[in-house]
Amino acid sequence: MYGGGTVFENTGFKEIQQEDPALLAAFQERIDRGEKIEPSDWMPDMYRRQLIRMIEQHAHSEIIGALPEGTWITRAPGFRRKLAQMAKVQDEVGHGQLLYSAAETLGKSREEMINDLINGKSKYSNIFNYPAFTWADSNVISWLVDAGAIVNQLANAKGSYGPYCRALDRICAEESFHLKYGHDAVVHLATGTPFQRKMVQEALHRWWPPLMHFFGPPDKMSIHTEQLMRWKVKMASNDDMRQQFLDMYVPKIWELGLTLPDPILKKNLETGKWDYTEPDWEEFKRVINGDGPCNKERLGVRKQAEEKGAWVRRALLNPQAKYVQPLA
Amino acid sequence: MSNPLQSLDPRINRLGVHEVTPETLVPKTGLDQFETYEAFLQKREGAKYEHVGPVHAPNEEMAFLFAKEQYSRRMTCVGLFVVKTDQILTTPFGPNDNSIYDLLPTDNEVVSGDPQVWEVFHLKKRGIQHHHVGSVSAPSAIVALTLAKETFGAERPVVNVWIIPESQIRFTSSEEKAIWDTLKDKKYRDAISYKVQDRIDRYKQGHPNLQSI
Repeated sequence: MYGGGTVFENTGFKEIQQEDPALLAAFQERIDRGEKIEPSDWMPDMYRRQLIRMIEQHAHSEIIGALPEGTWITRAPGFRRKLAQMAKVQDEVGHGQLLYSAAETLGKSREEMINDLINGKSKYSNIFNYPAFTWADSNVISWLVDAGAIVNQLANAKGSYGPYCRALDRICAEESFHLKYGHDAVVHLATGTPFQRKMVQEALHRWWPPLMHFFGPPDKMSIHTEQLMRWKVKMASNDDMRQQFLDMYVPKIWELGLTLPDPILKKNLETGKWDYTEPDWEEFKRVINGDGPCNKERLGVRKQAEEKGAWVRRALLNPQAKYVQPLA
Repeated sequence: MSNPLQSLDPRINRLGVHEVTPETLVPKTGLDQFETYEAFLQKREGAKYEHVGPVHAPNEEMAFLFAKEQYSRRMTCVGLFVVKTDQILTTPFGPNDNSIYDLLPTDNEVVSGDPQVWEVFHLKKRGIQHHHVGSVSAPSAIVALTLAKETFGAERPVVNVWIIPESQIRFTSSEEKAIWDTLKDKKYRDAISYKVQDRIDRYKQGHPNLQSI
């Protein structure tokens, strides 16, 4: 599971005003009662658009996120690690398929989503624009990026859109393996030789700033998301999710005697919240807009894979085929 | 053309990947990702089949394989079937506390022709999956729906009904059931196989000066 830090568009108060007020109120009541919304139910146009954007970004993140970890399959240290790394990458690609189908029920075809990934119109989790230099980087991704995504996805699984919730339930069931596998691999290095320990410590320092970016900009900087939270599209604020992540994982990092590159990081006993240095949000913006160390490579690899497979798909295509949107 | 992108990954360098530029974009056209099929899974012998989700595939056989990978790779499964999405007759969604059958117009359509078998699926609640309730024999999908109402209409609540022609379903054959026998030796895919606490504790004992929280 790789989702997180979704970029939403502005919720356009005006557009919501144009919806039928009675339908809008009934829709809100259903959500307040905890009912799920299914594809053929009435929904505000803005709800549909924001969900497509969120689920599509999540799907792209699974597919692109498989690249930095996939890199290490051939060089995994030992057969057991190689099998586990392959199983994890296979899971992530499967998650991408589930999520594309969930987004598709809202009316955007899988072809359009893949087009928009490759032409840069749709985003994916910014963290995958950074490279996995060593095996330890791959382990830090397996453990902590997945941990961050779990925080985000467990919240979203309680959201209001039926097909997305069903996909997330399946996804979350597989995630516990990723997290434990990643933790095991990091602990193995951290308790190993001095060289292994140094390797995982360096990887942790490299991944800490992108991990702090992972949940997206602080709430005070984020665009208006109250409407999305009322509709149960977004289930927790960026800062709340970041706090939850710090609370769960910083102690597990520190218990291994590993350090994090933030001198003021500590839990404030008065507020019960973590104090931390704000990561560089200018860098976040720059990287998400294309200027990160791996943006070009990720999209280039994806584009080439799509192009190289095109003749196979054409050869397999039934000439009588007609597209029908999946049901649920 | 520009030089290929340089990567840390030697495999990527061997591919000669180029930067995506607007003039190199070739947008996908319709059906590049094929038609959709719906997949249904049986967890154990005697259990009801449940809808698990869609797959995209060029034909029935590949839909079956993709569904097997996607939906039964990591859970117990004894049977799986796929059917093209457009073969499924769906009713509208009804309110959550009632039966959609009660809201359907009664159809007294007279249809001649040979009866065939239709599988009936109900959704009890929005947010969960459709489950199998039984089958009916009828000359058309609409007649099958009317019969389904007579046969299974007492169930409450039913928010949505699917009617599927059995002849269009790609079932699991009895020889194929062996495809699920490989699951047992894949412990490395289970969270429970990873136990780190002993290792952490041993390390801490050997290194009493580690930062403690």
